[in-house]
Amino acid sequence: MAKEGSGSILQFAPFQSSVDEGFWHRLSSLKLNKFGIDDSPIPISGFFAPCSHSQVSNHLTLLAESLPSDSNEESSMPAIAQSNRNRCSVPGILYNTNTMESFHALDKQALLKAEAKKIWEDIHSGKAVEDCALLSRFLLISFADLKKWSFHYWFAFPALALDPPATLVDLRPASQWFTAQEAESISAACNEWRNSNVTADVPFFLVSIGFDSHAAIRHLKDWEACQGNSQKLLFAFYDPCHLPNNPGWPLRNFLALICARWNLKTVHFLCYRENRGFADLSLSLVGEALITVPQGWREHQCVPNAVGWELNKGRKMPRCINLAKSMDPTRLAISAADLNLKLMRWRALPSLNLDILFSVKCLLLGAGTLGCQVARMLMAWGFRKITLVDNGRVAMSNPLRQSLYTLDDCLNGGDFKATASVRSLQRIFPAVEAEGVVMAIPMPGHPVSSEEEKRVLEDCKRLNDLIDSHDVVFLLTDTRESRWLPSLLCANTNKITITAALGFDSFLVMRHGPGPFNSTTDLKTETTNSLSAAIDNLALTNKDGRQRLGCYFCNDVVAPTDSTSNRTLDQQCTVTRPGLAPIASALAVELLVGILHHPEGIFAEAEVANSNNSGSPELPLGILPHQIRGSLPHFQQMTLLGHSSNSCTACCHTVVSEYRKRGMQFILQAINHPTYLEDVTGLTELMKSASSFQLDWDDETEEADDECIEL
Amino acid sequence: MDVLNWDGTLSAKDFRIGAIAFAQKWETLNLGYPPWSWVPSPKHPPLTSPQEEGYLSLEKIRISRPKQEDVDQNIKTDTGEEETSCSEKEDDIDDATLVQSSHHELQYYDFHIVYSHTFRVPVLYLRAYRSDGRPLLLDEFEKDLPACSVKELSKSKWTFITQEEHPYLKRPWYKLHPCGTVEWMKLLILGDTSQPKFEVVLELYLLSWFSVVGQVIGIRIPVNVLSDCR
Ligand SMILES: [Zn+2]
Repeated sequence: MAKEGSGSILQFAPFQSSVDEGFWHRLSSLKLNKFGIDDSPIPISGFFAPCSHSQVSNHLTLLAESLPSDSNEESSMPAIAQSNRNRCSVPGILYNTNTMESFHALDKQALLKAEAKKIWEDIHSGKAVEDCALLSRFLLISFADLKKWSFHYWFAFPALALDPPATLVDLRPASQWFTAQEAESISAACNEWRNSNVTADVPFFLVSIGFDSHAAIRHLKDWEACQGNSQKLLFAFYDPCHLPNNPGWPLRNFLALICARWNLKTVHFLCYRENRGFADLSLSLVGEALITVPQGWREHQCVPNAVGWELNKGRKMPRCINLAKSMDPTRLAISAADLNLKLMRWRALPSLNLDILFSVKCLLLGAGTLGCQVARMLMAWGFRKITLVDNGRVAMSNPLRQSLYTLDDCLNGGDFKATASVRSLQRIFPAVEAEGVVMAIPMPGHPVSSEEEKRVLEDCKRLNDLIDSHDVVFLLTDTRESRWLPSLLCANTNKITITAALGFDSFLVMRHGPGPFNSTTDLKTETTNSLSAAIDNLALTNKDGRQRLGCYFCNDVVAPTDSTSNRTLDQQCTVTRPGLAPIASALAVELLVGILHHPEGIFAEAEVANSNNSGSPELPLGILPHQIRGSLPHFQQMTLLGHSSNSCTACCHTVVSEYRKRGMQFILQAINHPTYLEDVTGLTELMKSASSFQLDWDDETEEADDECIEL
Repeated sequence: MDVLNWDGTLSAKDFRIGAIAFAQKWETLNLGYPPWSWVPSPKHPPLTSPQEEGYLSLEKIRISRPKQEDVDQNIKTDTGEEETSCSEKEDDIDDATLVQSSHHELQYYDFHIVYSHTFRVPVLYLRAYRSDGRPLLLDEFEKDLPACSVKELSKSKWTFITQEEHPYLKRPWYKLHPCGTVEWMKLLILGDTSQPKFEVVLELYLLSWFSVVGQVIGIRIPVNVLSDCR
């Protein structure tokens, strides 16, 4: 350890900086709310303490409190005790530039020199003897890129360089340098010094040891008084450095002061270090240095050379910290949302598969009352990929019931709902991947002219592509016939499909079963076994022979036609009770979450609520019904099961294979001929027989229940 | 108060009393950590009277990382650092400046014990950062928590970590979610056959609480300490 008589150059371990996140937060706030483009230097304070661990040096630390108070947050910041023994204040100055260019253009040499000059002058004026905290100063240059939440910065700890440098005669642990008696007395004196509110943050001091081995600690200003009555006199300082062979940076300017003011050639210094809050003399060092007083040091006009720009991993370059993760509101919103979902999984639903929710692509046909509400529920569940299809514009009557719109969206004729809803979703949660498609859904029984034909066919093609590129389709339009084409396309591709429909005071929410060609492999083997007769039967069943679940149109005996024009006004459900859409939308999304978590997904059998299966451990999300019907007048809700019908106009084998065979020609025929679908499926025949099967749970309720439309 | 009917919660005032008792007890335990300090807040939320406001703070705790290689990799990959190289002329070679070759990366933890008015229990807030002050994300420091606690984190009912705004500092911190605290506190305190007086409960509360919570962050309170307190 000891380098007795080595005469080597005394080398100081540089100060290291540490900047608390809170500093950058407050700087950003000050920059935005107070400073603006004013880039004049700001006085700030750094904090340090004696080294307190044998392996780690203490850093010069900047905290939020290092900056002037931002008046807005003043009241909410905890008060910091004025004299904190582990926060010895160091005066500093901050140059925060407005651009990266001006950050690089700063004349760092000149800035360092200016700070060094302050230290030099304080030494010569005696101010630094009175208030020794002035001996250590620091300089911080920075550029705060508030758009990216990144901060470029560079610290300097100006040190007056002795020329020639001081040489080391001896350096060893203080415990070896002092006698045991002295060591005990010094420890006691230092602990007292460090525990007194008056002296705890005075980082430079004198240790005088009398002839009786008794140690006393004195302020620097008592140096003259100490002469003659001490056996040993040491210049002590709080040493942030932990190294066994080097003193820390503060000693440099201390030596400059000793040399310039007191003209000493030999200096005994004490690097004061602690362990667990108490003086540790085996960690502390005592050294003897030889100083050759440099030329001109007695005159204070010529400022000595200064060094001290902090290195970054050994290189001369600025540091950069990016705090987007704790400052970017978008990132914070994402992480808060994710943690919330994880919290739900952790507390209640260990089997919740968040990855599925995050990745499933949802297609919402209709961005009205139901569409808005379903989109919001999807986001709440963690769904991130949402496409809304609608060709309407936001009308004055919409915002109250359609929860994604405000009056602004209605102005100037109203924005397209597809556009306004996406904008709104992004405002609610910036990480949503939402898309809007302005498009009308072609409807059967709404004949089109030959000029329109091309456009209608394009829309069909587009809808088909949209369904193909999504994993889940919600049917949320306000006419039932606009649900027909998507129902058919979904049945054809076995997409998870969910329908929500509203009456005046009742609703229907259901999932569609798979289409008739749901198991192509089975189909092939069956046909190669030349059992084509079984196909019709197969079309009603799943691959395992169970009957498949019906679609929205399976319950019907009437094929979808123009539901708005063929009725009197009171038959058109012009209004629904406002609570219905949120209830139905919420159930629709909950139903989807259930399907996604069911091992059989779209093929899952329907379960009906009963007391036996509630809260079963195999069903963490509860049962998975086929249909949910609810009625507000009775505050009633029930689950129902309806199997697919082989005369369904949307999902039966005949219709889907007809579509597969004839494609758009088939669609056009359905659109142009009101009875075509009924004829194809044999519904016309069926209706004549007058016995219709009804799944309505309450015969009194209007049979138009699920046909009702909301405007 | 009758301890038998006690619901496991604390009032804000009880929290402050318990917190100060805990901080004093902590110092006598001499576990090798610095003391907890009570940070009073000048802010008065409508729910509390002024003198009760504040939190306990234990800062700059080092939990040493197991492997140095990991550290180096981290520095390279995840800092999000844009290094703006600017060639400084090496004008002033200073012989008196020690050139340190190793860049020892350490990480530090700050722990705050804050009272939750919603759950009426203490809540642990924490954050981690490198020695230069750069904050660490949960997935960056999670692996440095004791192995058992990482397992606990994934399955236990009481150690879920969420990111939330620190109620006093108004910056995002991590917190151990407190929704299970009441149940296990009742178990801890009332499970003992010797039914203590409420004043004793108050003194024991934070110590018992921290004996559980501390394990997650690698700070252990010796078993005998708790039994000795009874
Ligand atoms: Zn059908």
